[in-house]
Amino acid sequence: MFAGLKERLQAARARISGSIGAAVTAQPADIQDPEKPAGASGTGTIPDTAEAAPSSQTSATFATRFKTLVIDRELIITEKELADALSELEITLLESDVALPVTDAIIAHVKKQLVGKHRKIGQSVDALVVGTLKDALLNVLGKGFDLSSYISSHERPVRILFTGVNGTGKTTTVAKIGAYLKKQGFSVVIGAGDTYRAGAIEQIEVHAERLGIRIIQHQPGADPSAVLFDAVQYAQSHKIDVVLADTAGRFHTKANLMSQLDKIRRVMKPDLVVYVDEAVAGNDAVVRAAEFERTVGADAVILTKADMDSRGGAAISIAHTIGKPLMFLGTGQAYDDIIPFSPEAMVEELLGDV
Amino acid sequence: MPGSTEPMDQRELLALEQYLKQYGQQAEIFASQLELMENGRMEALAAIEALQGLLEAADSTVLLQIGGGASVRAKVLETDKILLNIGSDVIVERTNKDAVEFLKDRVTEMEASEKKVAETLEKLRAQINEIAKRIEQGYQQAVAAEQAAGPLSRQPQEDE
Repeated sequence: MFAGLKERLQAARARISGSIGAAVTAQPADIQDPEKPAGASGTGTIPDTAEAAPSSQTSATFATRFKTLVIDRELIITEKELADALSELEITLLESDVALPVTDAIIAHVKKQLVGKHRKIGQSVDALVVGTLKDALLNVLGKGFDLSSYISSHERPVRILFTGVNGTGKTTTVAKIGAYLKKQGFSVVIGAGDTYRAGAIEQIEVHAERLGIRIIQHQPGADPSAVLFDAVQYAQSHKIDVVLADTAGRFHTKANLMSQLDKIRRVMKPDLVVYVDEAVAGNDAVVRAAEFERTVGADAVILTKADMDSRGGAAISIAHTIGKPLMFLGTGQAYDDIIPFSPEAMVEELLGDV
Repeated sequence: MPGSTEPMDQRELLALEQYLKQYGQQAEIFASQLELMENGRMEALAAIEALQGLLEAADSTVLLQIGGGASVRAKVLETDKILLNIGSDVIVERTNKDAVEFLKDRVTEMEASEKKVAETLEKLRAQINEIAKRIEQGYQQAVAAEQAAGPLSRQPQEDE
């Protein structure tokens, strides 16, 4: 999963570490201050003396930096040292389909964290860079969404409505979430609200039968609001914990389908509206999610086919762009191939030791 | 194969038919995804060839397709300044050589993704074949059971 992005981020990490390291080793020749004690020579000094010292771009003045180096045995990282590496990181992120505002946020975070930072001589540059990159990614990835805790802390039945564009794997995702919740010990009922697509009801019926989950269905072409209303009624009368409401795929531009979705929302009053799209769609998925959030509203996002996505741009960008958390990643064909999205685990996967 | 010696009941046969349909739909989705990826890869390869051709040709005249099968001869003003969509709808200027490198990387990336999709598709097809085989066996068993039971018991089945 996200192998290309991982490779690129590891390269960017090495590049940033390299720039800081290179600046450190290149500096002794630049400054030969008579007051400098012999012990400091060769271990590192301050870069770009003449021009950077009065510059307000760096937070430290020449005097402060010199004092820091001599007395505290520390170096201060400057913006100039990082400029090339940050520019490369920016291109790297964009090439991985990370949305522009998200890329900007990551770069700004890295810059803010590293520039002006005091670093003990001898302290590992790499650890500092990795820590900063991890922080920057965590900053844009949001907090994730723990569905089990949400269900446990809300009045039952918790009604979850799944929506999104056509062909992204919504119905399969509903089945996977059903299997996941069943494993977590919750009772589940599925509402076959996709009465539009040929074969959709049979598809979800087969899944439900395999998983031993009760399904509420009407005839093809029936009003999805009625099906989902019945599913909620069933859950209430049988004390079921969760209602998973499948719906037909739709584009936000189709007015009639959007008004149908409005009706569904009025009738079944979902606790959570989950937007489902595929990770492989990259930036398109992000743009679509933003449009859906604007027109329909969504509380969380699920990205399917993440196992086939090498770039990882959508997974990185979606939470920050639409301001709603990423809840699950679909990673294959089996019912178990769905993982709750954990920002920490993802950052570790991308930037952990190779 | 599980259950191959046991006669299959009608319900099991119906369930298998539904699985077959479902796997068939999934296979169709993956096949069209694979086709899209393949088209993207071919497009990138064509762009690489065109970029390299621009540098090699003495004259920078190209045939520019304007739709409807019509083309015009056009002169490329700057053969070494390529405007490239690098992702996230961000377009940057690259040299011809860098653009070719970028596209080659993309082709490699797409090949890897295509391989994954093709593997999934292969697995799905194997499952489809397996299910189809079981359905066929089920039908044969049903026919054999009917024949063994005699002509009278065949009557109700004729309606199917």
